[in-house]
Amino acid sequence: MSGYLSGVLAIFCINLIFAYGIFVTAAAGQINLGGAGFQAIGAYAAGWLGSTMGTPIWFSIVAAALIAALVGFLISFPVLRTRGVYMVLATFAFGEVVAGFLLHTDVFGGAMGMVVPLHVELWVLVVSSIAVTLVAFYLMATRLGLSMRAVNDYEDAAIVMGVNVRAVQVAAFTIGGAFTGLSGALYALNFGFVEAQYFNALLSIYILLYVLIGGTQTAWGPLAGTVFFTMLPELFRVGGSARYLIFGILIVLMMALRPEGIITRGLVRGLSFRGGARGG
Amino acid sequence: MAAEPALTLDGVTKRFGGLAVTQDIRFAVPVGTRTALIGPNGAGKTTLFNLISGVYKIDAGRILLDGRPIQDLPPRKRVQAGLSRSFQNIRLMPHLSVIENIMLGQHTQASDVRSLLSPLAWQRKSRWRAEAVDSMRRAGIDVDPDAPVSGLPYGLRKKIEVVRALMSRPRLLMLDEPAAGLNPRETVELSAFLKSVAWDGLTMLVVEHDMSFVHDLCDRTVVLNFGRMIYDGPTSGVQDDAQVREAYLGSRRVAAKGAGRVA
Amino acid sequence: MTGFAARDKGLGGHSRNADAPDPRRTRRRGGKRLARAMSDPTGVAAARISLPAPAIAAAILVVLIGLGVAIGGKVIAHQVVSGLLLGAIYMTVAVAFTLTIGVLNFLNFTIPTLFMLTGMAAWGLLSGGYLTLAGRGAWLAALACGVAVAVAASLLVERFTFRYLKMKHGDATEHAIPLVSSLGFLIIFENLVLITLGSDSQRFAVPFAADLHVAGIVVGVPQLVSCVLAVAVVAALSFVLKRTKVGRALRTIAENPDTASLLGVDVGRVVPVVFILTGLLAGVAGALFTVNYGDVSPFMGDNVGTKAIAAMVLGGVGSIWGAIAGGLVVGLAETLSIQFFGGDSVAMTVWGLVLVIIVLRPKGLFGGAPIGKGKM
Repeated sequence: MSGYLSGVLAIFCINLIFAYGIFVTAAAGQINLGGAGFQAIGAYAAGWLGSTMGTPIWFSIVAAALIAALVGFLISFPVLRTRGVYMVLATFAFGEVVAGFLLHTDVFGGAMGMVVPLHVELWVLVVSSIAVTLVAFYLMATRLGLSMRAVNDYEDAAIVMGVNVRAVQVAAFTIGGAFTGLSGALYALNFGFVEAQYFNALLSIYILLYVLIGGTQTAWGPLAGTVFFTMLPELFRVGGSARYLIFGILIVLMMALRPEGIITRGLVRGLSFRGGARGG
Repeated sequence: MAAEPALTLDGVTKRFGGLAVTQDIRFAVPVGTRTALIGPNGAGKTTLFNLISGVYKIDAGRILLDGRPIQDLPPRKRVQAGLSRSFQNIRLMPHLSVIENIMLGQHTQASDVRSLLSPLAWQRKSRWRAEAVDSMRRAGIDVDPDAPVSGLPYGLRKKIEVVRALMSRPRLLMLDEPAAGLNPRETVELSAFLKSVAWDGLTMLVVEHDMSFVHDLCDRTVVLNFGRMIYDGPTSGVQDDAQVREAYLGSRRVAAKGAGRVA
Repeated sequence: MTGFAARDKGLGGHSRNADAPDPRRTRRRGGKRLARAMSDPTGVAAARISLPAPAIAAAILVVLIGLGVAIGGKVIAHQVVSGLLLGAIYMTVAVAFTLTIGVLNFLNFTIPTLFMLTGMAAWGLLSGGYLTLAGRGAWLAALACGVAVAVAASLLVERFTFRYLKMKHGDATEHAIPLVSSLGFLIIFENLVLITLGSDSQRFAVPFAADLHVAGIVVGVPQLVSCVLAVAVVAALSFVLKRTKVGRALRTIAENPDTASLLGVDVGRVVPVVFILTGLLAGVAGALFTVNYGDVSPFMGDNVGTKAIAAMVLGGVGSIWGAIAGGLVVGLAETLSIQFFGGDSVAMTVWGLVLVIIVLRPKGLFGGAPIGKGKM
């Protein structure tokens, strides 16, 4: 595989895992515009554990994901006091605080970034992204996933069905944190270098776009969104700004014409009917 | 030996601002009975439902479920204690399918970790799904279980919501205007269905305007007017009660008097 | 989290159907939030006693300025004036944000871009020689055109974000649709400018340097005019909201998003007004920034955007006066802290404060009365 292609594939895998991290909370009705902050936590944690503490790679990755999950769990309590636009602002603020902290304190290298002397091969990324995708599909197929989707639709009715809405939402943030942190860890260990400037507002915005444009109704959404955003620039072989201009136009059109996203439940059902056998 | 009533309201009062929306409500619903809650618009029926199910907090009084006070419990705990309700404006989850909505009703029985984390959709043989499909069929809901609820006719969706409310095997089933929007045939079907699912010990409290439905289904009726209870007794006696007539017909009589004087 | 059943000062409000909870409201465990919110549809009870925000804001400002000048003398006084100017700009943009959220529950990410469009369009017209007819007033004409561009762009955003809004079966993330759309427009506008005008920072020449000397402090005429203009614009907006028919219509939409048309508001004609106002506010702020700092770039909106959002939160989301107070405070704080601490950790502390306030006291530090019902 050429160096260019393997680079694209690496980015794709990392973004896919990242997207699933944001998807999990969105599927339960919460918009997280601070994704970059969680990814940064995972990246710096893995990098620091691996290089400074000298832990084995697999340990660094798992620990980084768990740390990000813990942060997700802890931050969910204050954040879940908000809804809607306020939650967008709160999560955005969180992302900025994390990025600002990493940039302006020298514990982790500050503006100079942190070199990560360890390396994971591409296959680790590919396997991880497949695993995360399967876990996400599985989650959506369980009663927990059903509860999440119910909370997304009608929170007050879900309560009356006996769903522990708060627990479901906290779980969504925790699992989302784990996935997002994992994507950061893999990024750090594959790329070899992390800098705080990378984990900025624009990154959070883009990953949220991946998820919302892909569709939050099914676990196919993040897949579609990541493909859309990673592959499309390759199709439009125009230079720099023009490419992003087209992007922007597509985003506006999508929201105007198909706001529920590329993949909806209806679409999946329609496609599976046409596919024939509907299983016993 | 007298069993505890399924539901006891003891002096339940709720104020919004300065307005007492329900005032000192007292009645009991014996186990296994079906009681109707009626009254003119604005009488406080849905408010009372919201108080019982925990959406609102009461200002005074007690609410007892099987003799246990529940007025301080959050809604989720009340559901776990055996309460279940349907909504006046249908609250089916629009992005879920019929069967998923119904399975949601099973939640109180399935909230242990194992049930939460085992897949519902992949093995069609899931016990929860089988139960839900069974309930669907017995209720006469003959659509594809995986169909989205949003496209279905109104009467059918009402029925699905009732089935969903039944899935938790509640002690007290509260139905908020289940017959609203149904045509006469559907109304009769619904009444028959509700009578058929009345297992031993299932108690129903039904808010309704359709009096023929009420007469058919409920042996007892409580009448509210302006937040106060004005009648609590057999359904057959409702129409003869003076206070009830006053509440429903009073204004018309006054108007008639006035017209009479002019003429 | 403060209750929003509190009727703000005489803005009135219509009670909503108690059976149809607003899906945008917070739900806490056990529906307590919902219950509390819906338990006061007539709005009589629980009138939150908050001192009028302008009074608090003015008091804080006077104390700060007084302290600063007393301690630091002329240098500080100069910084204070600069801080107020910066604050005036932040305040104007913050008001645009808060108005849009208050009335439409819409976090409009294009606002900083409109700010940028004004400056860049003005520069583009001026340097492209399109305004030679205006002679010595070309710079002013350019700025006026810049503001017009901002308003036009804002209306374009309205056309594509709000017209297509009504989802058949919404869910908790449907409020994000216009947000995503605005992000799309942000990308479009920024890249349009990059393509047509390049990515460099440019100088915008303003042909006067008259300075006033007040009590030994140098105050530039542009600075003074800017402050006055910003205050005037915002005061006019406040007036429009409170006294005019349109303003009443806007407040009705803010408080009754689902039933406004039933209450007699021609929603299709009133909503564009919000976007026009947004364009004006962002445009005027952009023009003021251009005149006073002389530099425009395709990225000039970024910093202002984040500060304005912070200012809005400080003052309480949805509150006009809160945004005013917040903007001035942020401007002052930024200028003074750069003087004393250097610019680095300002952003982090500001956002930390935003997070804490949003979560603990969404009414903001100044307790300004929100336009709508405070959609939590």
